[in-house]
Amino acid sequence: MLADYVARGLKAGVVAGIAFGAFVALVATPLIRYAETFEHGHGAGPVVSETVTATVSVAGGVLLGILFGGVALGAAFYFLEPMIPGAAGTKSYVLAAAGFITVSGAPWLLFPPQPPGVEQALATDVRLTWYLAMMLVGGLGCGLSGYAYTRLRTSSGRPTAFIGALAAFALVPLVAAFGPANAASGPIPVELATAFRTITVAGQAGLWFVLASVHAWLLRRDRFDTPDDDDDEETALTDASGTVAAD
Amino acid sequence: MAISNNSVHGRIEQARMELSATQVAAGLALVAALGFALLFLQEPMVHDSMHNFRHAAGVTCH
Repeated sequence: MLADYVARGLKAGVVAGIAFGAFVALVATPLIRYAETFEHGHGAGPVVSETVTATVSVAGGVLLGILFGGVALGAAFYFLEPMIPGAAGTKSYVLAAAGFITVSGAPWLLFPPQPPGVEQALATDVRLTWYLAMMLVGGLGCGLSGYAYTRLRTSSGRPTAFIGALAAFALVPLVAAFGPANAASGPIPVELATAFRTITVAGQAGLWFVLASVHAWLLRRDRFDTPDDDDDEETALTDASGTVAAD
Repeated sequence: MAISNNSVHGRIEQARMELSATQVAAGLALVAALGFALLFLQEPMVHDSMHNFRHAAGVTCH
């Protein structure tokens, strides 16, 4: 059964990965090349050609989609499905939103996406350690939020549960506030940097949205294919109302 | 089967029956290796090849 879930997640991941690969090729790469025209040649330059970077980067985009699909909407969905809030059709979106917050949203509070050429005050390994720590905190925040929602919904109703779920997320900015300051400066105009950031956020949000949509569709398809499903009941209902209308 | 399939605990128990420790270890190792190579590996050739992808994905890379 786990294998079926992972296979479904991987299928959604392939579709989302191809979409994100296309985004890297058609949107991000031209934008990065443009941003790089503001850089004043620093040092030796890249050790691989532009073509290699472009090709490997697109492949990386596809692989990222497959990785997210297999891990988040495959394995994690299998284990967490019973406790994810929402109806069958919305669970994929809830988990994808949690994936976005865990992988990108939480770390970005500390280190927002940067266009190329930006010099950052903190060393790379310090940033990577904090990036990983913020991913853990993001995941924890999502877990707490889901738990709070499920618990409060049965005891105090949906609005309170919603507030409780939001409150649980306070953990994430709270930890980020304790993170180190990372001054960033670069040759790129502020407007371009803002545009770059917006497009990067949209790219990741889009990747998770496609992932969730394809996953929800596959889930619906697979459940309707299995016999003894409520599909039959729906047909029976339509028939009954049809008879009434005919009368 | 005694275990309910509709709880997180039940799902974990079922996965324990379906998978061997080797399969779990191999799966986790594959995921960790791919994730690390895509997002964090700083080896110059990998770093430069992944440059556009990491900027596009918003990963802090250099």
